[in-house]
Amino acid sequence: MAAETSPQRSFALRHRNFLLGAVAVVLFFAAWQAIFLIVPFDPLFISKPSLIAAGFVDLIESGDLIHDLAVSAVPFFVGLIAAVIIGVPLGIVMGWRVRVGYALDPLMTVFYASPLVALAPLLVIFFGVGVTGKAIIVFSLAVFPFIFNVCAGVRTTDRLLINVVRSLGGGERDLYLKVLFPSVLPYIVAGARIAVGRALIGVLVGEFFAASEGIGYAISRFGDIFAIDRMFGCILTVMAIAVVLTEGIRWAERAAFPWRTGQ
Amino acid sequence: MAEIQALDVDVAAVVQADAAAPTRSLWRRIEPTALGTASIVLLLLLWQFLPYFVPMQEGTKLFFTVPSQIVGTLWQLFASGAIWAPLGVSATAFAIGLAFAIAAGLPLGILLGRSATLAAMFDPFITAFNATPRLVFLPLLMLWFGIGLWSKVAIVFLGALFPLLINTYEGVRNADKLLINVVRAFGAGELDIARLVVVPNALPFIVVGLRLAIGRAVLGVVVAEFFGAQDGLGVVMVRAASSFKVDVVFAGLIVFAALSLAMTGLVKLLEERMSRWRPQHVNAN
Repeated sequence: MAAETSPQRSFALRHRNFLLGAVAVVLFFAAWQAIFLIVPFDPLFISKPSLIAAGFVDLIESGDLIHDLAVSAVPFFVGLIAAVIIGVPLGIVMGWRVRVGYALDPLMTVFYASPLVALAPLLVIFFGVGVTGKAIIVFSLAVFPFIFNVCAGVRTTDRLLINVVRSLGGGERDLYLKVLFPSVLPYIVAGARIAVGRALIGVLVGEFFAASEGIGYAISRFGDIFAIDRMFGCILTVMAIAVVLTEGIRWAERAAFPWRTGQ
Repeated sequence: MAEIQALDVDVAAVVQADAAAPTRSLWRRIEPTALGTASIVLLLLLWQFLPYFVPMQEGTKLFFTVPSQIVGTLWQLFASGAIWAPLGVSATAFAIGLAFAIAAGLPLGILLGRSATLAAMFDPFITAFNATPRLVFLPLLMLWFGIGLWSKVAIVFLGALFPLLINTYEGVRNADKLLINVVRAFGAGELDIARLVVVPNALPFIVVGLRLAIGRAVLGVVVAEFFGAQDGLGVVMVRAASSFKVDVVFAGLIVFAALSLAMTGLVKLLEERMSRWRPQHVNAN
């Protein structure tokens, strides 16, 4: 929901929007803190910012939060990297070889449309509570944005570039390496932005189900023992990570591929 | 003469069918469908006959099922009527959550679209909630709403709200300023502007948002039922998974996928209708 910025009103307006947003966030937390002066406070049900902050400091000092995040990061990155390694080449081939596209498009659409999360119980039971099961859940959710984005990227590749490489004697291999792969890079990054959100879902599902550590496990355990302040601390941490990842990728997109802004 | 006429008709028909490639043969026209179907059939066959090629241990067999068995289970679920009760529970949560999301998302989206100040103030929250998987709130929602219908409704609502809200916002922002000024010049208030210009203009965007929201809502129902529910199709699937009835898990997956595809397909039809009546001359000027 980035505001439109036309050249005449760019700097001041952007500044104004940022300030308004910051004020709103501060107001929100202040109101949250203040409302319990009027409403009775029930620590089994809700928490307030001061307690959440204290719990958060506690979680950091004891090292629990860092440990849980580190544990969750492993299947997250393993699944995501596997999704890139499988999804990007598959997407390129699907986009470039027309018949492969015809053959695989419906299949992938069916997979993409079905709530594959539903297979999570099976995967967790089959692979146990370790990294493998979660990484497979993450992979199966995160691979499709890469496939579809890269496939779309290949289809919009400049035909002129392809013809130039061909007329200079380039073979199929040269086309893949010198034209197709570089030209889908922005699409890979755009796919990654969608994929990280889905990958986070994968990690959380896996950990809610069966885990003995990890950030998803921490959230559900703190819920079970009614440690609402710590639970909020973990939830806010996940939110912060999600925002940093998606907005970071968005920023990287703008910085690395400025000609594609507005996508 | 007759021959030429026939040729004319033929060319016209082909051109109408596909303006890009007037000389396509029959195979070329059906190739995409044929290849797509073939790959799906091939995959299903491979899956069906996998047990004959690959020796499997007893333990692994517990987790394995074949398409024919899944179809049989699916048929049985429907024939015996066993699926209707849990499906009804899931559908109720889905429908209530989606209805709340529409009831909240559309007015809020219109409001934010009409007020830049409010939009800037809400932006951090919307960005944060939209980037975060809503699943992370599930344990909290279960504490607040208990195990049952309302925690599911809440998760569906959170999932479906943001696509609707953001798309409505974009649609409202996209409204023709000239039209708004005309209506305003004739003495219309904010409500009239919304009714006469903004909402009709934003409708196609809203429908796209609805399509995204349906996908998210189905996902929300499935996931919420996995963790915090006593009945519903998701619960049936989890119970089946823990008692190694893999075919039931897949049958449930197919039902969810089919419903999701059917609903998004319907909305897509609606989308096409809407883009058809959309006046193009406004943009052309």
